[in-house]
Amino acid sequence: MRRKIFLCLSLMSLVISGCFDQTAIEDISAALVLGMDLDDQGDLLVYMSSPVFNKEAETKEEVYQVKAVSLRNSRNSFDERVMGLSSGSKTQIFLIGKRLLKMKNWDKYLDPFYRDPKNTVTSRVVAVDGAVKDIIFDKPVDKPRLPLYLTKLIDTAAQRNLIRRTTLQEFRGQMVDKGRTPWIIELAKGKRIELKGSTLLTKQGQYQLSITQYETELLRILEGKREGDYSLTLPVSSKAAHDKKTYASFSIPVLKVKKRVRYKGRFVFDINVKLKFGLGEQVIPLGVEINSKELEKNIQNQLEKDLNQLIHKLQKNKVDPLGLGLYARAYTYPEWKKNQDHWVDSLAASKINIHVDAKIKSMGTMR
Amino acid sequence: MKKYTFNEITYYQFVFLIMGTQIGAGFLALPRVLAERAGTDGWMGVVIGWLLSVAASIFLVKTAEKYPNKTVTDILTHLFGRVPGKLATFIYMLYNIWFTWIILINAMLYIKGWFLPNTPDYLIMFLFSIPTFLIVRNGLRIIGRYSELVFYLTIWVPVLFLVLLKDGSFLHLFPLFKVEWSKMAASGLPAIYSFLGFELAFFFYPFLQKKEHAVRGIVIANTLTMLFYLVVTLACFIFISPDEITGYNQPVLNLLKVIEFRFFERVDMIILNILLLIASTTWIPYFYCGVYCSSQLMNKADHHSHVPIFLGLFIAGTLIIHPTWEEFETWQHWMANAGIVFAYLFPAFLWMYSWGYEKYKRRKAL
Repeated sequence: MRRKIFLCLSLMSLVISGCFDQTAIEDISAALVLGMDLDDQGDLLVYMSSPVFNKEAETKEEVYQVKAVSLRNSRNSFDERVMGLSSGSKTQIFLIGKRLLKMKNWDKYLDPFYRDPKNTVTSRVVAVDGAVKDIIFDKPVDKPRLPLYLTKLIDTAAQRNLIRRTTLQEFRGQMVDKGRTPWIIELAKGKRIELKGSTLLTKQGQYQLSITQYETELLRILEGKREGDYSLTLPVSSKAAHDKKTYASFSIPVLKVKKRVRYKGRFVFDINVKLKFGLGEQVIPLGVEINSKELEKNIQNQLEKDLNQLIHKLQKNKVDPLGLGLYARAYTYPEWKKNQDHWVDSLAASKINIHVDAKIKSMGTMR
Repeated sequence: MKKYTFNEITYYQFVFLIMGTQIGAGFLALPRVLAERAGTDGWMGVVIGWLLSVAASIFLVKTAEKYPNKTVTDILTHLFGRVPGKLATFIYMLYNIWFTWIILINAMLYIKGWFLPNTPDYLIMFLFSIPTFLIVRNGLRIIGRYSELVFYLTIWVPVLFLVLLKDGSFLHLFPLFKVEWSKMAASGLPAIYSFLGFELAFFFYPFLQKKEHAVRGIVIANTLTMLFYLVVTLACFIFISPDEITGYNQPVLNLLKVIEFRFFERVDMIILNILLLIASTTWIPYFYCGVYCSSQLMNKADHHSHVPIFLGLFIAGTLIIHPTWEEFETWQHWMANAGIVFAYLFPAFLWMYSWGYEKYKRRKAL
């Protein structure tokens, strides 16, 4: 008898314990894309796009713009408008408008995503060159619904290293760590939506600099991460071809980047980029031949030049998306201690030597 | 006289019992606590804590070795007489029961905080108490089997942390020895707390089949615990920036939240469930030792009638107090201090006392 009572009691508690925290899936409006921007008066605007799973609805997506003082505060306004309870647990993309990016410390608004364990931290952080409403209200007819389209667009472009996929969690690290500054995706809408390389922010989260897709690829090379593909097209000059419009495109199957740092009155960085490339295209007139030694030399010099230019640009703009500060902290700790609170200034004053060593790995199926 | 033969535990069960008792829910916050004291050098605190706990464990086993068939309560009665022995047993009971309560509260708060915010706390407590009841009312052998089983079931958890290493940066760890020695030693303190649990070997020892391996067993248990803490702490330090880590309450969960596979997201939710298994191998042995003490006090050979009483008290306690994180932290602070006494000071004292006692007795006999 006692056994039976015990069994009943346990069964009952197992069953009812699920009741308190239940949320039916059809009562959820999952904000797949969230956006934040400022209006003309400088008030915060929050945007949300969530899918509608209903046969009767003509458009399968609901998009709203509300005025709010914070993200959590905007949730109430959304709940007044959308079908279900709006939730940030499945947010794929986080759009931030240019106006907001120009504000100092705007990242404080992201707090609910770090504080509330129900929200995800793997959404991609995207800077919008322009207003968020231009993007989020866009309905391209030849694409699936916007959240799916943008997510795919970003993930596949990241596979080619045209952008760096920065998640909310990584973004927080980039903001908080004293040895680096944030590096996020840039999205714009001209006639259509397109990715435009990267946006680099200052330590306060303010917009500082946009870099192109090519520069983003170079930055990824300097970062030394071998994920996905690189595809670069560089001009090659050759004595044989007087025509200036000769190009070579290549991928980088082997990449090794070594960064060293020492302190000699200022920080001195030595970045050695060792890569092997596979030729994918050669745009040269018929009959002209560029021998492989020449090609290697050409690409090496061109890359070195472009990388140096890029680094100078970063130094001039006082940003450190590469996290060179981490190297300074790890290897020159006493000096880092003195410079950590104004690291980007010290970086601007430091000397950065870049050395590229490029070798051919494959020429493809043509001679 | 071999009083505990019917409930003997094997060497492996002994190791996993101790290791299971050591690793509780506390490891989720450990990297933060270490980083607060010594930055990314905090992981060395784990090694310091390990050295100290191994030293204390050996003392403990050496003391227990002198009385191979007596648990700590028997030893105390033997050494100090009946009444002080009873008193000591009572204190031990309070310690074990209080520890059980704290661990249960901790696990309950985690579950409530991370995914069941609206479920009443006493209901979660009740759910915990069902398996606890089923296991603890049996003897130590069943508990030993349970601990061993949980070990095999959760052995993959540390591997999960290695998945993240490719996204982290080893640069966070360097340079080594960047903080002063005093700070490094300070990080040893929270590490010592997280090694608590081996003091229960005093209770397990008489049940152990092959007592000659006891020292080896307890050292292995401590080492396994140390390795686990080291993997977790280093993974957190490598993945989360040193300036950022102190901002998270439980960095381990923040770390797990980032893992995403194509087929499922939110690994942290899975781990929180696994965590219950891991935490249960902490509260179950403590609870067993608690009811063992209470049944000794009542001069009862059988402890199993005490189990539901205490579980009922736990549930009622939750219902009345509704413990919060802050209360938990105060309690844990007391507990940690008590743990230092029970796990580190007391065995050393007992070892010396028994040494003197036996010498005195022998001289008297001569």
